[in-house]
Amino acid sequence: MNLPSAYTEAPARRFNVGERVRVKASEPPGHRRTPHYVRGKRGVIERVCGTFANPEELAYGFDGEPKRVLYRVRFEQRELWADYRGPEHDYLELEIYEHWLERA
Amino acid sequence: MSDEHPHDMGGEPGGRIDTADHGMKFWEKQANALRNTLTSRKLVRLDELRRAAEDLGSRYYELEYFERTTAALRAVLLEHGFFTEAELAAKIAEVRRRYESA
Amino acid sequence: MKHHHDHSHDRSFDSGPPSEYEIMSRAIQELLVEKGIITPEQVRARMEQFDADFPYRGPRVIAHAWADPGFKARLLADGKRACAEFGVDLEADRLIAVENTPQVHNVIVCTLCSCYPRALLGMPPTWYKSENYRRRIVREPREVLREFGTVIPEHVSVRVHDSNADMRYVVVPMRPAGTEGWSEEKLAGLITRDSLVGVTVPKI
Repeated sequence: MNLPSAYTEAPARRFNVGERVRVKASEPPGHRRTPHYVRGKRGVIERVCGTFANPEELAYGFDGEPKRVLYRVRFEQRELWADYRGPEHDYLELEIYEHWLERA
Repeated sequence: MSDEHPHDMGGEPGGRIDTADHGMKFWEKQANALRNTLTSRKLVRLDELRRAAEDLGSRYYELEYFERTTAALRAVLLEHGFFTEAELAAKIAEVRRRYESA
Repeated sequence: MKHHHDHSHDRSFDSGPPSEYEIMSRAIQELLVEKGIITPEQVRARMEQFDADFPYRGPRVIAHAWADPGFKARLLADGKRACAEFGVDLEADRLIAVENTPQVHNVIVCTLCSCYPRALLGMPPTWYKSENYRRRIVREPREVLREFGTVIPEHVSVRVHDSNADMRYVVVPMRPAGTEGWSEEKLAGLITRDSLVGVTVPKI
């Protein structure tokens, strides 16, 4: 029986788990799923989620193809916030599309 | 806070959180079910609804959650041509008359 | 043309005059029904699922994970697949389960809107959708958790998960001490919705 999975395949991906990446510090107009608070910040690939239709295109009625690779990226809270009051082992994790990432 | 991306608020200063769950009114449950019925049948895409909510600009903060989702749904359904502005206005007037005479 | 108006079934009126958006929402639904796009039964069935089905799934799945270490491992590896195996169809939700341990405490948010694993937990609470939660939990999680009455010791890592794209999240809380031998049904009774989002922890 073929059970559904949370993940899809991403064989042609650029990054792998553990690699250090930086989110592009870009301000494009329109619908984006990359929050401002991580733009320009450095993190580590925590997980490869798979390939999905690009939400930036789907939002405007396009089919979102070709699909883009989606990763979970882990950031140290102290990297994200200059005034972070918690300990250095606090993290924030979220999903970032490949086209928003550069090697750090 | 930005009119261009009012929704993108992570990390902004904020006040005390009302930690109680105030639940949903009947119309909100129905609005949620309506939205879900449409997205699960792929009649509208969730991404379109999000984008339409984000495009509310300063109105984003003036509306409550289900008011935003309703405004967004209206915009996307109009874009897709499921009905016209005139048809919606007429139906709104009819629904309002029904409430007022109840 | 026969109109299938649903308003004859609106027994549950909200108190007070309807708002502009309540009227708009009902008008949209009636128009779509008139045009044969949807039926009132479809919307009603969905309301029923959100009320009577979805909210009860999360505690059952997590209780099963507490009782069955193999299932818990599968849940952590692939939340959607493990739920399907357990007979819980998450529909479009791609579930990732994150585990609380003595070293790690997890908490979930969607800063951009209010994404939430609805097919596992039902509708999100009003505080989850609130602007102040979305603003503050990513930046000062420990302070926000304290507002919910949850204090996480400094040596424990707090991990905030912003469900900003295609995945949805649920926290697997730590099973409280003193629950040895409990049935899954009894365990499920300990598991609150708030603990599955991570703002509280289950207590006996």
